Amino acid sequence: MRRLLNFYTLVLLGFLYLPIAVIVALSFNKSRFGARWTGFTLHWYEKLLSNHRVLEYAWNSLFVAVVSTLIATVLGTLLAVGIWRYRFRLKSALRFLLYVPVVVPDIVMGVSLLLFFAWWRQKTGLFHLSLTTIIIGHVTFQIAYVALLVKSRLASLDPGLEEAAADLGARGFATFRYVTFPLVWPGILAGALLAFSLSLDDFVITFFTAGPGSTTLPLYIFASVKRGVTPEIHALSAILIAATTAAMIVGRALMQRR
Amino acid sequence: MDRSAARPWQRFFRLLVTVWPGALWLIFFLVLPTLLMLWASFLHRGPYGELQGPPTLENYLRFFGVTPEGFDPLYLQILWRSVVFAVVVTVVTLLLGYPLAFAIAQSRHKDLLLLLVVLPFWTNFLIRIYAWIVIFQHRGVVNAILTALGAPPLHLYPSWFAVYVGTVYTYLPFLVLPVYTAVERVDWNLLEAAYDLGAGRVKGFWHAVFPQTLPGVVAGVLLVFIPALGTFVISDLLGAGRVVLIGNVIQQQFGVVRDWAFGSAAAFVLTGLVLLGLWVYARLAGEKGLDRLV
Amino acid sequence: MKKALLALSLLASLAMAKQELRLFNWADYIPEEVVQEFEKRYDARVVIDTFEAPEAMLAKLAAGGDAEYDVVVPPDYYVLQMARQGLIRELDHSKLPNLKNLAPEFQDPAYDPGNKHSIPYQWGTTGIAWDSAVVKKDLDTWGVFFNPKNYVGPCFLLDEMRETIGAALKYLGYSLNDTDPGHLEEAKKLLIGAKKRCLGFAGGVEARSRLLAGDAEVIHAYSGDIIQVQLEEAPTLRYAVPKEGGTIWTDAVAITRRAPHAELAYKFLNFLLEPKIAAAISNYNAYATPVAAAIPYLDPELKNNPAIFPPPEVRKKLEYIRDVGEAIKLYDRIWTEVKSR
Repeated sequence: MRRLLNFYTLVLLGFLYLPIAVIVALSFNKSRFGARWTGFTLHWYEKLLSNHRVLEYAWNSLFVAVVSTLIATVLGTLLAVGIWRYRFRLKSALRFLLYVPVVVPDIVMGVSLLLFFAWWRQKTGLFHLSLTTIIIGHVTFQIAYVALLVKSRLASLDPGLEEAAADLGARGFATFRYVTFPLVWPGILAGALLAFSLSLDDFVITFFTAGPGSTTLPLYIFASVKRGVTPEIHALSAILIAATTAAMIVGRALMQRR
Repeated sequence: MDRSAARPWQRFFRLLVTVWPGALWLIFFLVLPTLLMLWASFLHRGPYGELQGPPTLENYLRFFGVTPEGFDPLYLQILWRSVVFAVVVTVVTLLLGYPLAFAIAQSRHKDLLLLLVVLPFWTNFLIRIYAWIVIFQHRGVVNAILTALGAPPLHLYPSWFAVYVGTVYTYLPFLVLPVYTAVERVDWNLLEAAYDLGAGRVKGFWHAVFPQTLPGVVAGVLLVFIPALGTFVISDLLGAGRVVLIGNVIQQQFGVVRDWAFGSAAAFVLTGLVLLGLWVYARLAGEKGLDRLV
Repeated sequence: MKKALLALSLLASLAMAKQELRLFNWADYIPEEVVQEFEKRYDARVVIDTFEAPEAMLAKLAAGGDAEYDVVVPPDYYVLQMARQGLIRELDHSKLPNLKNLAPEFQDPAYDPGNKHSIPYQWGTTGIAWDSAVVKKDLDTWGVFFNPKNYVGPCFLLDEMRETIGAALKYLGYSLNDTDPGHLEEAKKLLIGAKKRCLGFAGGVEARSRLLAGDAEVIHAYSGDIIQVQLEEAPTLRYAVPKEGGTIWTDAVAITRRAPHAELAYKFLNFLLEPKIAAAISNYNAYATPVAAAIPYLDPELKNNPAIFPPPEVRKKLEYIRDVGEAIKLYDRIWTEVKSR
């Protein structure tokens, strides 16, 4: 039985990695169209790296991801702590609200933000579609993920800890800073990492909230794919795959050090 | 667990610092846009695509098929098509993913395997979709192999088949992870007990193990079904305009046809469907179940 | 930390030093050398956003994009509509001395009398394209899409509403600016049938890629798109205007009403009308140029190419797409239906 399961695992892993392998392989393929191998070349990588627009899009993606993650992690963590610690009216409404971005299809969120920004623009001239509106859109769903992750981490903490700290004379913020925060930190980090990767990868919400000059990598890849992929996109994808893999390996090594 | 032996203003201050920033953000950028969209769904489109009053039920009527020329079930058909699509995708993903999660949990190398399963999920999802174009296109990988073997080429792209493969592929890790978590928590003693009572392997699994994994299964199913229901990118790229799901209709209204009123109505119907499903799930699984989604 | 901030602010100020021009154009419709020449001459930075279909362009502009972009490249039939909607501004001709370089027929075009709101950019035709290495005969009818008897092989319809509905109308023998609901219903039925037979809808460049990749055998295409690639690397491609007639179109360049960099935009439009620049654009795109003074600088394969400069007997069958006013709602509805079924 075990052999069967192991074989099955290998087959499925093969299925999971087949597209990735194809992309990486084709990024070195001489031919512009199709999948027939016509020779090895680094030409597409050269073209890609000298394409300053692509580098600009990569920068945009990174910028959006970093800024939105920072904002969302702060807001989301505070939210989670507040919900965990305090009782207040509308608490369950707020808890329900946290699930909405996670569960509702992102096209609905994207479209409602488009409407929202357009409406405000009419009334006040604010919210021109730009990197800022993309960041706003990202933060809105990131808060939910961060808050939920931190909340579940908090829920696993011993409630007696905060009481013990209070008994020893620590007041609200001190308790948080010296007792709660260090214990919750892995959850916050996990939330931040998830938020970061969701932002980098996001297409749908970005699609509806991006303006001129605020193209991100996923948007660029989509436009190129619609037009008919050139192997430059293969090269770009291979680089992204390598970068993600490296990040994951490094991340795991760091985690295991703890 | 409220530390508030404290005075009201202290409590107010604490809530202000912790809960209010996030809550205000969500209200302003999540609740308000949704309400705006609801309002827009009752307006209609002017000659140049602007939103115009007076309020009307026209968009919802049109969606549900009530037109002056008689009953036209076009959008209901698309919605139904999308539901069927999401169900099939979910079932296939479940059939493929459950054994995989099980196999990983049983393996000696579970950490490594888990990493391997998650890694593709961390690469950009557009890349993973267009990879299937490269594999399925007329001179793509599949046909290259087939013609090399002397077989005739298959037409795999653009097609419903490609969209199904692409969607299952994209959402498989979403199912494997929660199921894996659930399998990890299984109490194998129950299986032992079942064997002792004379159950065979299959019956033992079905009655003693599978029910314990159910929370993970349900979480995984939801994490696949809902995004699959609202997808438009995969059907747009792999279906080239032949595969029209409800997500595509919504996107067209906002992107190309400029009928934001109708698009909002369609978006609301989709949201309503999803929230209905969630409500059913919450009833069945309670709040703990919702937490497990994350 | 301080050093990083300093470096960042330096970078930011460097980026802001140059004037910026925001261009909203069809994908791959202006050669990089022309852009760089403009950037060099006027010490500016050109940011280009692209669209694949004019409807999407209009949607983005109407959603607030008209204050984000300076220059936009709409098809002829959109110009008056966009002017009415207040998306583009009336041009101050005193800032565009190079207008005199235009050929006489483009000095006062029907789609924008007196060039009040736009200048012509490139012009061409729309027809059908195929690979002669795969399809051995010469194709000459829209029936390859609309008539099962003329079906040749896997095909793509053009993802542009007026062009595609127009093709159906032409096949039926009507004008492609027809507003008769009965005629449009007939066109709709043809299109729904065509969609079933074909592989789907694709933008111009996407369809061309599919043709080159072998996924499709016949596509609905723009003249220059095909000639460009035919001259460069795919000599077996063919383009023709079907016997039932087709579209002749002019793409125009306009300045948005709320353009953030209007002065630079005027310089850009004037720049596009220079003979050598207009010729460079045409030589890259393989489309025809409205700038008469540029014709001597065109590549010979373009100057004498009947696909680019159609002869009179073909020109007789060609029709300009015109703004149909309120009837556009009818077209939109039909298009939604065709795309949704």
